[in-house]
Formats: sequence, C-alpha cells, structure tokens
Amino acid sequence: MKSLTKYLPWGAFALALLIALVVALPGGKVRGFDVNTFGTLPILEGGRVKPLDSVARNSLLVIHSRQGFRHEGRAIGPDEWILDVMFRPQVADQQPIFVIDDLEVLGLIGAKQTKNRNYFSFADLSSHLEEIQKQAMTAQPIPPQKRTRFQGAIVNLFDRVYLYYKLRNTLQLAGSPGIAWELQSLGTPEAALRHQDLTSLAHFRILPPPAGAGPDAWMSIGEGLTAANSGSGLHPGLVPMAKLNLAYVANDATAFNQALTEMKGVVTTLKPGALSHAANEITFNRAQPFFVGLTIYFIAFLVLCVSWIYKPELLRPTAYSLLFAGAIVHTLGLAARIILMGRPPVTNLYSSAIFVGWAAVILGLIIERMYRKGFGTVVASMAGFASLIVAQNLGTDGDTMGMMVAVLDSNFWLATHVVTITIGYSGTFLAGAIAIAYALRKHIVVKTDVETDKALVDMAYGIICFALFFSFVGTVLGGIWADQSWGRFWGWDPKENGALLIVLWNAIILHARMAGYVRDRGIMVMAIFGNIITAASWFGVNLLGVGLHAYGFTDSGFVWLMGFWLTQLIFMGICYAPPRFWAPRPGAKA
Amino acid sequence: MIKPLALRTWSFLKSFQLTIVLLALLMALVVLCTLAQVEMGTQGAVNAYMRSFLVWKHFASVPFGVPVFPGGALVGLLLTINLIGKTLDIKLSWGRSGMWLVHAGLVILFAGEFVAGMMQVDTQMSIEVGQTVNYVQAYKNMELAVIDVTDPKWDEVYSVPDTLLAKGDPIAIPGTPITVKVKKYFPNAELTTLVPGAEPSLATAGVGTGVSVVGIPVVSADNEMNQTSAFVEFTAGGRSYGTWLASVALGAPQSFTHEGRTYAISMRLRRQYLPYAFTLKQFRHDVYPGTQIAKNFSSLVQVVNPSRQESREVLIYMNQPLRYEGKTFYQASFGKNDTLSILSVVENPGWLLPYVSCVLVSIGLLVHFAIVLRRSLKRRQDQKEG
Repeated sequence: MKSLTKYLPWGAFALALLIALVVALPGGKVRGFDVNTFGTLPILEGGRVKPLDSVARNSLLVIHSRQGFRHEGRAIGPDEWILDVMFRPQVADQQPIFVIDDLEVLGLIGAKQTKNRNYFSFADLSSHLEEIQKQAMTAQPIPPQKRTRFQGAIVNLFDRVYLYYKLRNTLQLAGSPGIAWELQSLGTPEAALRHQDLTSLAHFRILPPPAGAGPDAWMSIGEGLTAANSGSGLHPGLVPMAKLNLAYVANDATAFNQALTEMKGVVTTLKPGALSHAANEITFNRAQPFFVGLTIYFIAFLVLCVSWIYKPELLRPTAYSLLFAGAIVHTLGLAARIILMGRPPVTNLYSSAIFVGWAAVILGLIIERMYRKGFGTVVASMAGFASLIVAQNLGTDGDTMGMMVAVLDSNFWLATHVVTITIGYSGTFLAGAIAIAYALRKHIVVKTDVETDKALVDMAYGIICFALFFSFVGTVLGGIWADQSWGRFWGWDPKENGALLIVLWNAIILHARMAGYVRDRGIMVMAIFGNIITAASWFGVNLLGVGLHAYGFTDSGFVWLMGFWLTQLIFMGICYAPPRFWAPRPGAKA
Repeated sequence: MIKPLALRTWSFLKSFQLTIVLLALLMALVVLCTLAQVEMGTQGAVNAYMRSFLVWKHFASVPFGVPVFPGGALVGLLLTINLIGKTLDIKLSWGRSGMWLVHAGLVILFAGEFVAGMMQVDTQMSIEVGQTVNYVQAYKNMELAVIDVTDPKWDEVYSVPDTLLAKGDPIAIPGTPITVKVKKYFPNAELTTLVPGAEPSLATAGVGTGVSVVGIPVVSADNEMNQTSAFVEFTAGGRSYGTWLASVALGAPQSFTHEGRTYAISMRLRRQYLPYAFTLKQFRHDVYPGTQIAKNFSSLVQVVNPSRQESREVLIYMNQPLRYEGKTFYQASFGKNDTLSILSVVENPGWLLPYVSCVLVSIGLLVHFAIVLRRSLKRRQDQKEG
C-alpha cells in the first residue's frame, strides 16, 4: 500500500506523457501511399510557408469543424482528404463533410433537418451552388455584426464551399486530365486560359521560388504553367508534381512515393530549410498538444474529485502529478508555437486563450506546492481545461498562426505588453476560480473547517494582488506602446478600457478589504465578479467591433459570453448565501 | 462651526468609502464610454463621458440637457484629491515607502491624463506623393478661410473658426478691410441643386445661388464628416460684395475682388500652419506574399525647416513615428491607390508624465513586495525558532 502511494503518482505522470508522445508519432501509409510525407511538402499560403498538412487540417477544420472524419467505415485524415480533393475530386465530392446546422439554410437547399442529415457532400450541394452564391452575395456587404442569423450562416456556408472549390482547382482544374496533360498541351490555344483560371483559383503556392527569384516568389501550379507556356522556363517542380498526380489517379503507390522523393529533392535544392521547418510544424500538428493537454487536465480534475471521497492520500498526489504532466504538454505546445512563428506567445485571440490557461495552470501548481490541500490542483486543472476548450473553439476559423497586421508587428511589445496583460487575465480568473471552489465547498462540506477557509481566502487575496500588479503594469506598458507608436498615451480604446476595468476592480477589492468593508465572503463574491469583468475585457471588445484590437468574433460568441456571465452571477449568489441555507435545521450545525 | 465642517469634508474627501465609490463610478464610466463608441465614435464618446465634468443627456421633453451622471473629469478630480489625502495619511515610515511611491505615481498618472484632456491637440496631415504640405488640419473642426491670392507667389490666409461663425455676430477680419456677416450657419447640411419653384437661396453671388441647403444633425463617428456650410455676406469699405455660400461640400473656388486685391473664400477643415514643411517622396504599402494582409506602411518624407536651416529625409513607419518640434507624426492611413499618405499628428505637452508615473509605481510595487516578503520570511523564521 505504501509503495502504491509512492509509485502511482509517478506511474500516472509517465503514462500521461507516454500517451502524448504516442499521439505525436506519424501514422502508417494509407493504401500504400505515403500521405504523411506528402503532408510535409512546404507551400506558401496566408503569407507564410507551412506544410501542406497545415492547409489540409485548417481547411478541414473550417469546412467540417473537425480535423478528420469517417466515411464508408474508414477514418480519413486531413492529408488523405486533401489529396483526394486535389487529385480525385470525383471521390472527394461524394464525402459528406459540409456541416450545416442553420434551419433556414437547410430549407434553402431543400433538405429537412434530421439527426443524421447535417452533413452534406459537395455533390449534394452542387445543384444549389447558384442559389447559395446569390444569397451570400446579398448578405456579404452587410457588416458581420449586423447580419441576421440566416445571413451569417449563408455567408459562412458560401465561404466554406468556396474554399473547397479553390482547393479542388489548385493543382489541376477539377475534371481535367491533370498536370501531365497540361504540360503536354502547352502552347495550345485554350491552355493559357486554363492556366489563368488555375492561377486565380489557387489556394496556395506549391512551387518553391526558382533559382534567382526573390525569397517570397513561390508559384502556384497555374503560375508555373503560365511561365512555361510563355517560354520562360519549366519550373523543376512541375514534372514531379505531374508524376504525383498521375500516380495517385492510377492508384500506383510505388510511383507516387517515388515522385514524392523527387519533389522533396526539388524543394531541398530550391529552398533549403523549408522542408525541415515544415516537418517540425507537422509534428506539432500531429501532436495536438492542446487537445492532449486538455484531456489530461480533465482526468486530473476527475481524479481529484474522486480523492475527496476515496483514498485522498493516494489520489491527491496522483491528480497533482497528472496536472504536472498536462502542464508539461501544454508548455511544450506553447513553446513549439513560439518557435514555429518566431513570435511571443500571444498574437491573437486563440493564442491568448492558450496562454491564459497556461499561466493559470502554472500559478495553480505553485499554489498547490504551497498549500497542498488539492485546491490548487482543482482550480488549475479546471482553468486549464476550460481555457483550452475555449481555444479549441476559437481556432476553428483557419490558421491560428496567421500573420500580424502591420500595426501589431512588434515582437518587443507583443512580448511585454500583451504577455503581462494576459497574465493579469489569468490571475483574475484563477482568483475567481478559487472563490467558486470556496463557495461550493462552503455548501457541500458539512464540517466547518476554519483553517481551510482561511487558506482559500489567503490564496485568492494573494492572487488578486498578483493580478493587480500584472494588469496594471500591462496596461501602462500598453500606454507606452501607444505613446511610442502613435504619440498618445491613452486613447480610451475599448481593449485598453477593458484592461483598465480589471485594474480598477482588483484595486476596489484590495481597498474594500483594507478598509474592512468586506470580509472573507465579500472578497470571494467580488473575486467571482472579477471573472465577469475579465471575460468582458477579453472577449466583449471583439463583439463591439470598434478600435484597434477588434479582430473578429461571431454572434455565437456573444451567447457564450452571456452564458458565462450568468453562471458567474449564480456562483456569486451561491457564495453570498449563508452556508447550508437550504437545510434550515437548527440543530444540524456542527 | 466652520472648522469642524471643513474637517468633516476633508475626512470625507479622503475616506475609503469615497475611494471605492469613485473607483466604481470610474468603472461605470469606462463601460458607458466604451459602449457609446459604437454610435458616437471614439472622440465623441471620450468627450462626452471622460473629458467632461458631468455627462449630459438630452431628453425629447426637456429643451435643455440634463446632467445624468458625473463625468470622467469630476470623478478623476475627486479621485486625485482622495488619493492625495490618503497618501498624506499613509504613515511616513520605511515600511510604507512602497505604498507612498505607488500612490504618488498614480497622482502623476491622473495629472498626465488631465493635461492630455485639456491640452492634447489631435490633428492630421495628408500628403500626396510629390506634394509639399506646411500645415496640419483638424479632424472635425472647420474654418472659413479668406485667402488673399493677389500675389501669385504668396497667399495671405485669414480664417474664421466655426465656433465664431456659429455665434452669428459680424466678424471684422483683422489685417483686412473685410467684415463677414453670417446670415445662416449649418454645422452639418445637405446640399442639393435648387429646383425651380423652391424657396430661393440666401446666396446672391457665386455658385450658392443655385444650391438649396438643408440642415441635418451633426455626426461624430470616427469615419463620418460634417458638411459644414454657411451663408456669409462680405462687406468692405462700406460696400457689400454679396452673400456667398461657403461649404465643405463645394469644390469650386469662389472669389471676389476689393480695391485690386482678390480674396478666395472656402470652408475647410481647420488648419494650423507650421514653420516647416513636409514633402512626401515615397509611400510604401507592403503586404505579406500572396495575401492582402498589410505588412508595413511607410512614408519617406523630406523635412524642410528654414528657421533651423534643416533639410533631411525621415522615414515614418508603423510603430516608428517622427517626433518633431513638440508634435508626433505617425503613419495612420493611406488612400488614392497608395499615392496618398495620412499622418496623424498629436501634440501633448504632458507626454512625459505617464513615464514618470510608471517608473514610480513600478519601483513602489517592487519595494512594497520586497518589504512584505522580508516581513513574512522573518515571521516564518521566528516561528521556526520559537
């Protein structure tokens, strides 16, 4: 028994990390085709070079809301899917990947909403394309915040269909015999027109910059063919691509893998380093550290909950070591993003969610080391889990490593202002989470335990001080950035205001405590309200759609925000209610 | 009698209750100001909520505005007094030195925002490639410019600000024999071609005779502009040169001649002429390859300042403004197919205060944390020993 107490935490820790490692390993060949290697081919899209696998995953995520799907009893991964879309559209068109939930849109395409029938293939939609486009074009000029539900949904569907359509016509015009045929028919009358279509529809550029061209001069297949057509030389990547195309259509895996090696050779010659960078990114893609992390956090949370009723001295350390394992995976993911992007951790809303969760978990780990009552673990695992869930939902609109617009393009300020502000968010949320734990505990635990209550209040108070420090410093650094860049310290920009609200609220809590207006319970109620303010500051601004920091959010975000606020108000009520208020048995008080 | 009252007021002004109430009010104001920005634009909302002593609301049933909420200036002022009072109350001891520094820093931060609110001037400069500009102009405020264009080499500019036009009194323009009589002033208006049979225009000269002007509500959103217009009569030497329509919406130049001197008139964004000039040599708008995402904007500007015998090139780009003669020029916008660069110009004499404050508060917090840490370590040690 004693050895179990010693080894179980270590065992759980090692197992969690092992699972994370296994997830990161590449999968086997599909029907003999080396699709994994195909996914590592670097391409230029959205302003940066990335592996084809990233395009496949992000596109499938946008279109299907997931990075893979099952079709005809088989799991289809992103790389195989994109190969079919680009080279065998007749196969891909039959796969039901378009999710449609909006009833009015379903009505438009003439399908009744049934439980299984929310997924449509491109072939299903093809007879309605004109209508979808017509409706979307009417809705497009309306600013996103002012669109009706239907307008929003139809624009969304159109964007997804258009993305699919572009992918379908990036390497070859869908329905044409392919790249080899294009190479043979260079110089024929219609060829130039087809090349133009290919160029304008291309979603990404797969041909690395030819020798002598600028470092950003990647070319799409259409551009490569146009160049060849006009006699300015055949891009060395075109022939291997044609072979890949032929081999895949002919279902000849050996030839496909051979052509792939050839294409890799071309990339290595023209753009040394691109392949290894892409390979790193693909490992990150496959590892899905944030998904693995949130799973581990959830298990840690469950284990800790069980520990309250069953074998606490065994399960509490186990939960802690699981939390630690989750934190390691989370940290590695965060570090990988920093290295891949060459940017500080927070660059957009998605990465801010990841970072808020990370900082909360680290703080929670520290608290647990100090107090060892399991509360650090419970709030940290919950905060980590919740923020990574938020991140997963924010990351569904495509590449999460997009380029920074000019005004935000400053690594120094991203590393100082943005990071400190985000740590301030983490602290305020963590204090709120501790307060919620305090509130629930007060009603659930029968025996009053003054010491534990005191410890919780101490933790919350300490973290509020911490959060005040970081949000204040972060806000002032934001002001200095603004002064350095635009000559004004404070412009009352909504996001600045949001950060100011957090500072003010934390200052109110501290002063109210100092003046003795609130005691333990009051501080905890106020700390929960801090969650409302932080959520407003973090996401509310994006719903307003004004100011420098407004970078897009949908109305479903508004519903979620409202829901979150409501739960926090309920928690405030629970926290404020006297303990055991629903059991008015005068004698029951211990 | 008076002394206890004063004492009571002072102890109220420096009480914790007031601190908390004021901080809560400030939070409410910040929320209201942020929400109002959607409708009123950033500048409009800030002026209404933050840079005023009271927030006024106009009800349909009451002809005048009613104060409904304390404004940012009032709350800020009270908070500053409260802060000073509280800071003075903090015992002058080494143990409290951190808190002293923090609160002194906050006083300076508030002072900085007051200075910015009172004295900061926001203007802009738009230059086309190859053009030379020696003035900055306001974002919203207008002026009636009367320009003596007689000398082809030299323009003499006289201008009447819109605030003066709004009063409606006759204005004698100093340095000229001209007097302007404002017949009718529209802060914002809609101009249409006068249709036959409609009420005739107030104008008796210039293009205004064929134009019908209807006043419309003033706009304040960031991307909207008022079409400020006025019917003005020019008299000089006892003679009237007719009533003219001057409007931002009118592009065609109008002028009249008095005693051999020709005066052009126009309504335009209020200008401030500078003793130096900028020439835009090149404007760049870089995007990330294969996208429309802006990577960088930059303006290559030749700064010519005769008083300093200075002529040099400056590159103004994102996050890298030019600070020159008390003004900060930063790359704000562009237009006309990337041939027009718009620089925002800010003049804030108190720009240094937030830096001072920031340093004080940071040092203060560090000192305080160090003191608290030392204390708690000592306590732990005592516990161990005891």
